[in-house]
Amino acid sequence: DLLQWPQISKCRSPEMETFSCFWTAGNLYNLTVPRILQLLYKKSNEEDWKECPDYITSGQNSCYFNASYTSVWTPYCVQLASKNEVYDKKCFSVDEIVLPDPPIHLNWTLLNTSQTGIHGDIQVRWDPPPTADVRKGWITLEYELQYKEVNETKWKELKPRLSTMVPLYSLKTARDYEIRIRSRQRTSEKFGEFSEILYVSFSQMGIGCDHCTEEVEFPWFLVVVFGVCGLAVTVISIMLTKQPRLKMLIFPPVPVPKIKGIDPDLLKKGKLDEVNSILACHDNYKTQLYIDDLWVEFIELDVEDPDEKNRASDTDRLLSEDHLKSHSSLGAKDDDSGRASCCEPDIPETDFSASDTCDATSDSDQFKKATEKEEDLLCLDRQDNDESLSSLANTDLQRQHRSTQSENSHLWAPFGESIESPRPSVHTQISNQNSLASTDFYAQVSDITPAGRVVLSPGQKSKLGRAQREGCTEQNFTIDNTYFCEADVKKCIAVTSHEENEPRVQEQAYNEDGYFTTESLTTTVANLGASTAAPPSSEMPVADYTSIHIVQSPQGLVLNATALPVPDKEFNVSCGYVSTDQLNKIMP
Amino acid sequence: GLLLAALLVSHMLLTKEGVTSMPICPSGSVNCQLSLEELFDRAVKLSHYIHYLSSEMFNEFDERYAQGRGFIAKAVNSCHTASLTTPEDKEQAQQIHHEDLLNLILGVLRSWNDPLIHLASEVQRIKEAPETILWKAVEIEEQNKRLLEGMEKIVGRVHSGEVENEIYTPWDGLPSLQLADEDSRLFAFYNLLHCLRRDSHKIDNYLKVLKCRLIHDNNC
Repeated sequence: DLLQWPQISKCRSPEMETFSCFWTAGNLYNLTVPRILQLLYKKSNEEDWKECPDYITSGQNSCYFNASYTSVWTPYCVQLASKNEVYDKKCFSVDEIVLPDPPIHLNWTLLNTSQTGIHGDIQVRWDPPPTADVRKGWITLEYELQYKEVNETKWKELKPRLSTMVPLYSLKTARDYEIRIRSRQRTSEKFGEFSEILYVSFSQMGIGCDHCTEEVEFPWFLVVVFGVCGLAVTVISIMLTKQPRLKMLIFPPVPVPKIKGIDPDLLKKGKLDEVNSILACHDNYKTQLYIDDLWVEFIELDVEDPDEKNRASDTDRLLSEDHLKSHSSLGAKDDDSGRASCCEPDIPETDFSASDTCDATSDSDQFKKATEKEEDLLCLDRQDNDESLSSLANTDLQRQHRSTQSENSHLWAPFGESIESPRPSVHTQISNQNSLASTDFYAQVSDITPAGRVVLSPGQKSKLGRAQREGCTEQNFTIDNTYFCEADVKKCIAVTSHEENEPRVQEQAYNEDGYFTTESLTTTVANLGASTAAPPSSEMPVADYTSIHIVQSPQGLVLNATALPVPDKEFNVSCGYVSTDQLNKIMP
Repeated sequence: GLLLAALLVSHMLLTKEGVTSMPICPSGSVNCQLSLEELFDRAVKLSHYIHYLSSEMFNEFDERYAQGRGFIAKAVNSCHTASLTTPEDKEQAQQIHHEDLLNLILGVLRSWNDPLIHLASEVQRIKEAPETILWKAVEIEEQNKRLLEGMEKIVGRVHSGEVENEIYTPWDGLPSLQLADEDSRLFAFYNLLHCLRRDSHKIDNYLKVLKCRLIHDNNC
């Protein structure tokens, strides 16, 4: 054990008339022999230490100073000493050490109970400690009341007050309570001891109800109902508010379904036919955004992205006998430049019926057909060309008499023709991936039979014939800006035409360098028509390009006699494709 | 929000004991006379408030400056009002005549007038004195004046005729508050505050005794 010195634990005055000091003996040595320890005291204005007048009244290890020894506002010093040694010393004045006794005579009376009988109010009264002379005003006390339910652990405190009675409100009649009170001098901080505990039991007095055990729980139901109502009111007010920003903040706008390439205005205007046409072909259309050579704008293909290559080219569609329909998407490009539809705006003017235009199913079938023709967008394979060409030739021969009438309905269609010459890759909009035969990429479709067959113009037939004749030998090509020119083709044509064409037609063809007028075609056709069913021997070269002069509904195109001056011989010779450089030279 | 803050502040001020007086006599009235009971009520409230302020001030000073300096050990201090023989226990307080007691109270209050003025001014020179000590010193000095006035009124009511000798003790502690040595100076302040607390408690007690005796006939 640690060594513990004797020390004065506290000095206390209960009523400011007497005081006592208490000490502990410690375990210094065997001090059980009484009165070894002494308490000496001295008032401030005195010189000598005096011994404690009363060691008994306050109990063991205490010293009691009665009223005659007590001066209130006088400083005292006390010290704990044995014969020779001073163990502890304390100095104070009596007004500083006042700790009142606890109140007495606690009792309670019922004030009233609630209507349901569950709660009740009581009034608690008590008397001040008997030692404190409150009546003469010598000491002023304030009291603090604490109460709790019997089975609780924590006491509730009331604020200290001067009066000796206090009401307690809203106590539960079904429960029992404990009350205790302590007091202090009004200007002090420390409280005296607690009084005895007062027990409050309503049932003993015959009040309170035994069956009223249920307590008012927190009204969750009401809280939920009111919360929901408030929330609903708030939501409705926000939705109806005129402030768009607040509305946007709380209720962000749900993104409306956006169909690429569809103008919402078009939907709003409600042109149902157009909308249907657009929607119908939309499945097959994807925006042609990833084209490598977009600057080649005057080349138009109806197949715009690589995925489309897997589908059958339009030529296949045109040439195949099974599926031929006028496709509104032919020749249309979807450059997504804000156009309303995936198809050319021209197209709706052509009065396609919904069923005919952009037939999704048939198109998809067609597209899926020739996956191997990926690179031959404009050209058919040699074998295919041969087959189709021969078939076409046959059909055309049969229909020559119609060709004149159907001139106005000629459609340019991409058409690839194979010749014996090696195949230069022809630049198209998807050009880089294509290696194409050195063929003419466009053939003039003179007619489309109701059965769906394409009738090519006689100009092509000459090529066909030429191909069959295998007249063209392989030649070098001038490669111009990744264009693979059909130099050999032209030369072949030129050669053959020189050989076989009628001069007039030939001149015309050369002068315009690939551009035909309808008149010339007519002439050609007429000539051709006159030449009967012989294997196509006309050498009239078919121009690769003809600008569209007028688009006539429903299916007519009037071709322009485009003035394309051909200053250069080289230009003549080179190819049917005009590179931009050449074009720039040509154009004023 | 502003109104609520104003209400709260005013409530806090009002709950301070004894400060705000309830005007029974509207200002400017000539013949208004407060009852003796009312005068004593106000006097007790003021004395209680002064004692509360001085007690707090002493505790703050003790906590901040006196720790570790051994001031407490020097409890044998003498206040300048010790020369006034005031009752030291309940018996003496009950035996003294009320007029004498009133005069004693007045004497103590007058004796503290001067020291309180200097305390308010000198405490500001203490190094890093907290604001709470500063304003308490000023407040005590002010309230002491008011209590003095009230007591003079009471004495005027109670006293029957002759004017008593003025009881008064002069204070000569100003030089000690202005000592150069900081320890000595702080001890002088400590003593003064200790005496102030004690004397304010005395006055508060005497007034309560008088009130119970004169107004409630020893039956508070």
